[in-house]
Amino acid sequence: MKIFKSIKWRLQIWYGIILTFTIVAGIAASYQMERSRQLASVDRTLHVQFQNLMNVLHPPRPHGGLPPEMQPPEEPMPGFPQEFRLPKEEVNSFFENTGVVGYYYVIWSHDGKELMRSTNAPTDLIAPNSWNPAQMSHGESQARDILQKHGDNYELIVSIRRERQDYDILIGHSILSELQELRRYLIKQIVNGLIILFAGLFVGHLLISSAIRPINSISDAAVKISAGDLAQRISIAETESELGQLAAVLNSTFARLETAFAQQKQFASDAAHELRTPVSVILTQTQTALNRERDAADYKQTVEACQRAARRMRKLIESLLELARLDAGQEILNRLNFDFSKTISDCAELVQPLADERNVKIISELSSLEITGDPERLAQVVTNLLTNAIQYNKAGGEVRVKLDSQNSLAILKISDTGTGISPADLPRVFERFYRADKSRTGGGNAGLGLSICKAIVEAHGGTIEVSSEENVGTTFTVRLPI
Amino acid sequence: MRILIVEDEPDLLASLAQALREEGYAVDTADNGDDGLFNAEGTDYDAIVLDVMLPGIDGWEILKRLRETKKTPVLMLTARDQTRDRVRGLDTGADDYVVKPFDLEEIFARLRAIIRRSANKTTNEIEIGDVKIDTAARNVFLKDKPVELTAREYSLVEFLALHRGEVVTRTQLYEHLFDENESSLSNLLDVHVSNVRKKLGAEFIVTRRGHGYCIE
Repeated sequence: MKIFKSIKWRLQIWYGIILTFTIVAGIAASYQMERSRQLASVDRTLHVQFQNLMNVLHPPRPHGGLPPEMQPPEEPMPGFPQEFRLPKEEVNSFFENTGVVGYYYVIWSHDGKELMRSTNAPTDLIAPNSWNPAQMSHGESQARDILQKHGDNYELIVSIRRERQDYDILIGHSILSELQELRRYLIKQIVNGLIILFAGLFVGHLLISSAIRPINSISDAAVKISAGDLAQRISIAETESELGQLAAVLNSTFARLETAFAQQKQFASDAAHELRTPVSVILTQTQTALNRERDAADYKQTVEACQRAARRMRKLIESLLELARLDAGQEILNRLNFDFSKTISDCAELVQPLADERNVKIISELSSLEITGDPERLAQVVTNLLTNAIQYNKAGGEVRVKLDSQNSLAILKISDTGTGISPADLPRVFERFYRADKSRTGGGNAGLGLSICKAIVEAHGGTIEVSSEENVGTTFTVRLPI
Repeated sequence: MRILIVEDEPDLLASLAQALREEGYAVDTADNGDDGLFNAEGTDYDAIVLDVMLPGIDGWEILKRLRETKKTPVLMLTARDQTRDRVRGLDTGADDYVVKPFDLEEIFARLRAIIRRSANKTTNEIEIGDVKIDTAARNVFLKDKPVELTAREYSLVEFLALHRGEVVTRTQLYEHLFDENESSLSNLLDVHVSNVRKKLGAEFIVTRRGHGYCIE
């Protein structure tokens, strides 16, 4: 079922369940409170009636300020046999004439013998268990104040101890009207609860919908992006909310994706572009050669031109693969401890013939320095920088190579005394396929050398920088962690 | 027909020049933008093959500056194949556009097309009386029978035919039939003209004394 998988509906259902529980609990609690309030009021009225009855049974006598034990013994109730003289008429008239409807009473002697009952008392009343008056502490006159439910009635049973008479009084009262009132109260509460529940569900629906709406706009944007429209962004109205922050994070991810895609596209197009020229050479050379019969020297020339083109393509492909591997972050580096100054002097030796050819002097100033890294790759960087420094130098110029350490960094500076790089080209020299001179005649130099240097240095956790002054020279600075 | 090739890749330049020479064109070459522009402005070429990426002035700039003074048909060569590059090339004044790598046949056909268009011809066939010239196959027929012409003789016939009714000066002919490396011996042209007359009839090429030659 799709509807149960939707977050919106799941939230709605859970919200509904919790809201229902809360409302039911609220109704139950308030019903319980109302019920105890009603019962307390019943209890109170029963006690009031009891006091009234007691006043009838034992009318207070005026006494001259004497303490109770000094007072003369109580007179037995008049008209009551066996010393227990209850003014039956008065009691009956009390219950029947005071207008207090619905109250009844029964009086038992403490051994369970019924002494008196009102006419409206139910017939199935049972005398309470007998009790031992001696358990009552001296001076107490009442015990066993019990409130009990009997059918639709509430009854108060009080045991009385007098001088000569021990008896139990039960006063009952029908609570039908209270029960009805409670039922009405409950129905009212349930109706209110239902109204609150539906209003709550509606408001909840609105809240959830508005909370979910950014998710929809996020998913719309994501769908468009996955369909290839990388310029698509999520429109963010509220930037503070969690979803707004998510959208902002996603937007910046999308932007980086778009840039990466554009770079990749540019890279592929540049790579194809670089391959087009050597392929053109091979095509025109071979087609020209095959147009008619040639002599051996012509064919040799053609084959040589094709070989040059093929070498150029091989170099380009190797560079591209190297960059792709470095880009992919594959662990192609060996990690060894080695003396960087030794590597640099080896590289300088390697490029010495080229320097001699151009009449360029290489001046090294190397302090011995152990670093951790891939000696071959770093040698590639050094050779590349040295070759550039020689090639772009003026005849009779100098290349200075300096290695020292500073703050646990190895710092290699390679400076030339060449024509320098123009300020417009300077920020772009590490870009792939970027050639400051736009000339292809540099022996198949595709403009990838410095990009590869940068990738290798960065794979070592280092940095490479360039500074240049036109007609003075260029300095490349490589910083590597030791 | 005289053509200028401006291309900085030496192997490509050499083979293109050779192939076009073997097609009967007079070919001049330049391997950088500055020389290319100098040649293009100084000589009336029948067509220019122009690479875009060049050391010095690039192809776009050469084209722009050339268009200020000359209408020479230009075929751009480029490694960029995106539409905006083509649009830019054509809008700047290029007559056609070829993306590297290309086949020689295509370059030949496109060169013929832009030369033909610049002479206001719509087909490869030119008929002059009994003589029929197929500029695509570089064949000449007299009364429907093929006539053997040398490459230079064919170029002479084609050039005069494309400028039919106009008087073409000897200087023009030298400029269009011989490239900068050939010494323009003045009687070389007369030899070619007399050979053509032998093969296609004495009246085919008319001499205007003091002016030049003409096909009527």
